Amino acid sequence: MDGRLNWCRSGVVALAVILIGAMPSNAQSIEEKTQICAGCHGADGKPIDKTIPSIWGQQQGYIYIQLRDFKRGDRKSDIMQPIASAFERDEMLAIADYFSKKPWPDLGQPRAPKDVSERAMKANASVGCTGCHLDRFQGDGTVPRLAGMGRDYLTKTIADFRSHARANNPGMSDLMNATSPDDLTALEEYLSGL
Amino acid sequence: MNKHSMVCATLVGLAGILAGPANAQETKQETKSAAGVAAVSPVTQEQLNAADKNSKNFLLTNGNYAQTRFYPAKQIGRDNVKNLHVAWIFQTDVKESLETSPIVVDGVMYVTTSFSHVYALDAKTGQQLWHYNHKMGPITTYCCGPNNRGVQVLGDLVYVATLDAKLVALNAKTGDVVWSTDIADPELGYSETMAPTVVKDKVLIGTNGGEYGIRGFLKAYDAKTGKLIWTFNTVPENSVGVWATKDATGRDMHRDIQAEKAQLAKTGDPYAKLGGGVWQNPAVDLATNRIYFVVGNPSPDLDGSNRPGDNLYTDSLVSLDLDTGKYVCHSQYIAHDVWDLDAVSPPVLVNVKDKSGKTIPGVIHAGKTGHIYVHDRKDCSLIRFSEAMVPQENMWVLPTKDGARMLPGANGGVEWSPIATDPGQELAYAINLHQPMTYHVDSSPYPNGKLWLGGAFKVIPSEKQSGNITAVDYDTGKIKWQVKTPEPMIGGILATAGGLVFTGEGNGKFAAYNSSSGKELWSFRAGAGVNAPPSSYMVGGKQYIVVGAGGNTQVDFHRGNNIIAFSLD
Repeated sequence: MDGRLNWCRSGVVALAVILIGAMPSNAQSIEEKTQICAGCHGADGKPIDKTIPSIWGQQQGYIYIQLRDFKRGDRKSDIMQPIASAFERDEMLAIADYFSKKPWPDLGQPRAPKDVSERAMKANASVGCTGCHLDRFQGDGTVPRLAGMGRDYLTKTIADFRSHARANNPGMSDLMNATSPDDLTALEEYLSGL
Repeated sequence: MNKHSMVCATLVGLAGILAGPANAQETKQETKSAAGVAAVSPVTQEQLNAADKNSKNFLLTNGNYAQTRFYPAKQIGRDNVKNLHVAWIFQTDVKESLETSPIVVDGVMYVTTSFSHVYALDAKTGQQLWHYNHKMGPITTYCCGPNNRGVQVLGDLVYVATLDAKLVALNAKTGDVVWSTDIADPELGYSETMAPTVVKDKVLIGTNGGEYGIRGFLKAYDAKTGKLIWTFNTVPENSVGVWATKDATGRDMHRDIQAEKAQLAKTGDPYAKLGGGVWQNPAVDLATNRIYFVVGNPSPDLDGSNRPGDNLYTDSLVSLDLDTGKYVCHSQYIAHDVWDLDAVSPPVLVNVKDKSGKTIPGVIHAGKTGHIYVHDRKDCSLIRFSEAMVPQENMWVLPTKDGARMLPGANGGVEWSPIATDPGQELAYAINLHQPMTYHVDSSPYPNGKLWLGGAFKVIPSEKQSGNITAVDYDTGKIKWQVKTPEPMIGGILATAGGLVFTGEGNGKFAAYNSSSGKELWSFRAGAGVNAPPSSYMVGGKQYIVVGAGGNTQVDFHRGNNIIAFSLD
């Protein structure tokens, strides 16, 4: 990891602790509660680091569940756990609602070539990604949008599902482990270019 | 400035921004638009009881309480069906998987779409009368698409169950909400896609969630108030059963009973997270005041290691007393299922021949296994099962880490698609999938309402898929005729007194067949997957056939948003 980025991430955590601790979270506006998020997820919705997910325009239920899981420790993250731990359920839902209404950021990722798209579609037909992520991978409810997500984040989180480093959705771990690495690479390229 | 410096600058700037103004938060609003009022008379219980003889309306999801999907009108018949043409097309606001069974009351049609929208339409013209856009909660957790299979009407209320696990009663004339009640917690994996069955002032509703570690149920609510009357847990606290080693057809399921008993001693009965959803409507036997329904798969789908025992009453036909919800009998098709070849297509009440040839009240169910099972209605016991309607290979090989090939694939056979029957011909009509798959197992602990498959089902890309329409003589179990289709079939089928069956395909084809021979007599291309059960009705002395063409999420058929009604010249 880049040392400066590591330093800044530590800064995010430290600032989160200071800011969230300085004022009761229920006395903060939604902008105040979500300011901290821009440090990594981007002030314009474009993540600063490509391995960090886009949350602008993401499904509300999905964002809420991830915040809940960070707080519970079901999804591990030294950065997100202290931030999410400051919030109660209603606040998480409000934060999730706030970001879900932001426009989905265009990360400018290239559309996958035809052969890659076809391979991705075959992989989808085999394990049924769109059975949950829905048509055109837009997501709904507690299932995330994948279309246009950062490619490096997709690569990282799929790898984390496969290794169970991301353990808050074993169903996804099962499906990712049942899919070949080459097919997953094609899916990552295809999805990021949608 | 590089990106890392920007992070730091952002952090430094945060404190100064924190005092910014609060945004007014938007809330998802329930909306209702009305172009008119649905001029309907209240639907009486007597009308519902006699729905099987009603050649004007289509009052229940599967035609009548016996769920025969046999429509008694015969204006459209074998001789003139070739003249069938589009009467009108209504385009819904939702272009996503469409599984609705249109309900028709006195010229007013009620249809639903994905995400729990409800529309009232003029059944003669397709004109929208009102639209109920459900205010969906932020948490929805569902398998196999945001589907909705329809409504039922009693009195002046229209009942719909929603994706966020609510039961809602709407004013049949206006679409206004009269009452709404929470059925279960969607954060724990509960959701609703089935149409309610309303009978004797009770609204009967099951639940989805077998892929999320729920404890399944069938509930009865007071139709006037929405108050809960009874709950039947589809998984009893003693779910162990008889340690069955063979399925209902007598085939060995390769269970390791000793290992299961050791697991039971170690972790106890797994009933609390054992799944057992109820995906489709119960049939109602008005003469005995009993209901019959089927229960879905155990959780997790493919991993049986942490759920020792038969996992009662998953993968079973179950009968209850309508008034009390008390258990009467059951018959389990697959004990300790690790293939998700569960029971989802709604059961049908017909008279059948028992083993001695005597005609008795029966109940039949089409399984994902590809068999039609014929039961004695009195005690649920299995009388016979049909010839397999789809290829079966390597049953019951256990799932492995790298995947074991077995046919049928996990969607069936017969999925949730309702069958139709023609009691005069003693035939049941089922639509089937053929999707070769490998079954993979991977153990993981209960994930708090998340997807919990315990492995994966994988379609084998190199193997050809197909489907079929099959007519089975339920008194002999023999296949009478079968029509092969180029793609797997999911949606539903309707038989009519005109000697026809109507069904659709994922490629957009909607067709009529001679119900005695399977000969195709008419077809239409809808432009999107016809993966919904057809209905029929009469308005102004004219018979109509109506069906949704919206594709399907589960099998990924081309999406659309059309409700299409057909009539003769």
